[in-house]
Amino acid sequence: MFRTTRSALALAAALLPAAAAGQATPDLSDPEVAHVAVTANSIDIDLARFAEGRTRNAEVRGFAQTMERDHGAVNTQAAALAGRLGVTPADNDVSRSLQQGAASARTALAPLHGVAFDRAYMDREIAYHQAVLNALDSLLIPTTENAELRGLLEQVRPAVAAHLEHARRLRASLGGA
Amino acid sequence: MRTLLAGLLTLATASGCRPAAPAPTVHVVEISGMRFVPESLTVAVGDTVRWVDRDIVPHTATASGWDTGAILPGDTGSVVITAPGEVEYRCTMHPTMTARLAAR
Repeated sequence: MFRTTRSALALAAALLPAAAAGQATPDLSDPEVAHVAVTANSIDIDLARFAEGRTRNAEVRGFAQTMERDHGAVNTQAAALAGRLGVTPADNDVSRSLQQGAASARTALAPLHGVAFDRAYMDREIAYHQAVLNALDSLLIPTTENAELRGLLEQVRPAVAAHLEHARRLRASLGGA
Repeated sequence: MRTLLAGLLTLATASGCRPAAPAPTVHVVEISGMRFVPESLTVAVGDTVRWVDRDIVPHTATASGWDTGAILPGDTGSVVITAPGEVEYRCTMHPTMTARLAAR
């Protein structure tokens, strides 16, 4: 078993202001850490699928398809790693909080259409990927002890950075505030 | 002597013994860390370029005139360069990824 409790909490803090404020500081087990990782990817996949059905902008649809494809690939490898390490992902408070945050984002996007939707979706993707990147750089990669898990995170890092840059360029092309 | 040498050269050429053209080369480009490595490559017309996806996500190598299609993690995609010129190619899935390929 590997110890990544601090990493999981860092991710939660980065993605979830309530956790950062100390309102939720669960002591995650390895199976729960695995669940948080899978949840973080799944959230972006679900929102991408929603965006693919809503947007009329080919570039935004292409971005959403890339998010669905890439985060799906990461989840596949994360699941394979969890299997090799004998870790069965287990639901937990952090995962549930991440899902609640995703539901709120979905609720905020639901009434929007056209360029208003595209801008709001891309704003959300910029914030989400920046938060994940910050968590990877500041704590996740430096503090993860298991070499295989750290290797996976190091492979994920440039993909997240590329997604962030892609999102920023696309958002800039959409204009508006 | 000069006449003899010219005659021998003519004979050799006519009999198909002219120096053979260099065999086509296979060039490997690694896709790693969301970058094409090397980011600039010069090949000869007729050469093959093979991209190897070392990343955790799928990629393409795509230019005007050729396209590897999706290359899955751990897999490869190849194209034979059939025309001279220099092009910028990219991954259609990740527009931040670009590189240059020159064919002589």
